[in-house]
Amino acid sequence: MANLQINLGGLVMKNPVTVASGTFGYGQEYNDYFDIARLGAVTTKSLTLKPRAGNKPPRIYETPAGMLNAIGLQNVGLDVYLEQKLPFLRSKGVPIIANIYGHGPEEYAEMARKLEAAGGADAFEANLSCPNVHDARNVKGAALVSQSPELVAEYTKIIRSATKLPLYVKLSPNVANICEPALAAQEGGADAVSLINTLLGMAIDPETRRPRLKNIVGGLSGPAIRPVALKMVWDAARVLKVPIIAMGGICNASDAIQFFLAGATAVAAGCISFRTPDAAAQMVDGIAAYCERHGAADVKELIGAMEL
Amino acid sequence: MPCVMECPVVVLKEVAPSHCLLTVRAPEIAREARPGQFAMLLVADGLAPFLRRPFSFSRIYQDSVGFLIKVGGQGTRLLAQCQPGQTISVQGPLGNGFNIDPARERHIIVAGGMGVAPCPALAEGLVRVCGKAPEVIIGARTADLILCERDFREMGCTVHIVTDDGSAGEKGAAAHILDHLSPQKGDMIYACGPMPMLASISLVAEARGVDCQVSLEANMACGDGACLGCVVESRYETEGEKMVRVCKDGPVFDSKVIDWTIHNLAYDPAMDKGR
Repeated sequence: MANLQINLGGLVMKNPVTVASGTFGYGQEYNDYFDIARLGAVTTKSLTLKPRAGNKPPRIYETPAGMLNAIGLQNVGLDVYLEQKLPFLRSKGVPIIANIYGHGPEEYAEMARKLEAAGGADAFEANLSCPNVHDARNVKGAALVSQSPELVAEYTKIIRSATKLPLYVKLSPNVANICEPALAAQEGGADAVSLINTLLGMAIDPETRRPRLKNIVGGLSGPAIRPVALKMVWDAARVLKVPIIAMGGICNASDAIQFFLAGATAVAAGCISFRTPDAAAQMVDGIAAYCERHGAADVKELIGAMEL
Repeated sequence: MPCVMECPVVVLKEVAPSHCLLTVRAPEIAREARPGQFAMLLVADGLAPFLRRPFSFSRIYQDSVGFLIKVGGQGTRLLAQCQPGQTISVQGPLGNGFNIDPARERHIIVAGGMGVAPCPALAEGLVRVCGKAPEVIIGARTADLILCERDFREMGCTVHIVTDDGSAGEKGAAAHILDHLSPQKGDMIYACGPMPMLASISLVAEARGVDCQVSLEANMACGDGACLGCVVESRYETEGEKMVRVCKDGPVFDSKVIDWTIHNLAYDPAMDKGR
């Protein structure tokens, strides 16, 4: 049996599989289908300091081999997370990557401090790339923090100074060159980079001539974006020293392996969990089987091992 | 507890133009399913369509469950091509289901269009728990879209038919018929159908001081409360509670929970008083 354990910027995971934020709730939603402790880590839905109602419906629309969403960061807020969601996650003993979203870098830092103090996270994933919230304070000529390398570096630095826990930064693919924000995150002190968030997209009902989403635009996810994600991981892996957590239409072990070969250290199952609730657990088994089949004693041998 | 099972198709029969009843063998799911709950059906092995489709249980038998399907989009077209013996991946039972209270005086089901889907299972549950058949109002656009009438009559229900064009039963709105059945405090109304119909039913119920449960429909990705794609606006005012999930908090809600003010009305009882 191959060694599947990895160290993700200071977080030890027993296997390289987590879930993409927003596709797995707070873990409990999926524990009816499989023991979520089988995962290397659980990544939470984006948390904000105060509860958020999110966008008005309709919020999702299915597209070829994927879906558009414009949830708008609906979440229970930090306090309710700590009171009502955390105890279950802790009872499972699975590492928790808390995905956080704030208004301005200080709010991210405040959340990181509070979550660390309350034992609410084992690592942070700072969401600098949500396409579905309209936050004027974040805009400095960029619709998303993640689209400005300067802002990415500044935010990362400030959050970094607020916590000793591993810090990952989740970036948007809606940029000309993914290496720029990725390097900025690394310079700011990120321990890993999460690639990719959703691609901006939209759909219109030709009969009513109305947008399918109330928010008009949304984020595209699912297998439809997988080749884009893979290419961005490959691009970023060649310039980064810190590890990459890959997400973007990864549905099974065969998909996951491609991302390791392109240079990712860990992978996240995204909206495939909506279709196949235990997809992430199947991915763990499939990766182990692949290593066996290919004579790899350690999953880390696969990282960046694409052959030309 | 919900599960995912590969379920063989027992029978697929057309019940109206472009509508069929799909029955699958699913003992584990049937054992746990309650009226008003639903399942997510995988419609294709490939990645398009990517998401499962939600269908409420129309019938709950000992070893099988039935789903009423309106053939419209790509997903339902694929389901309508199923052959007996072929298996379908069924995830369920999901959601909360109807609350059945035998202490209620009268039980009135109001079904509009495809909203009839969960109602045969509900009527059956009411017969079993309360020992008497509920009254049923079936509303549809036209006569040929009246669904499940025979099922309700066979259970002993009093059935009222109403159509938009008067091609069967009365012409008008289901809420209008409900209003004229004069439900009172102590009765229970169960409604499922389009939002303007439910908004009207809810208004009638509130005006008469009658409790009302509504079953809502929404596009959903997961069915488990994770994706937050299927929310509707509630009357709760705090940020954290404003949006309720059809899949997990519902699909059945106390009508007083939902914010109906943002929806059009199919029938306005206040206007009717002036007629």
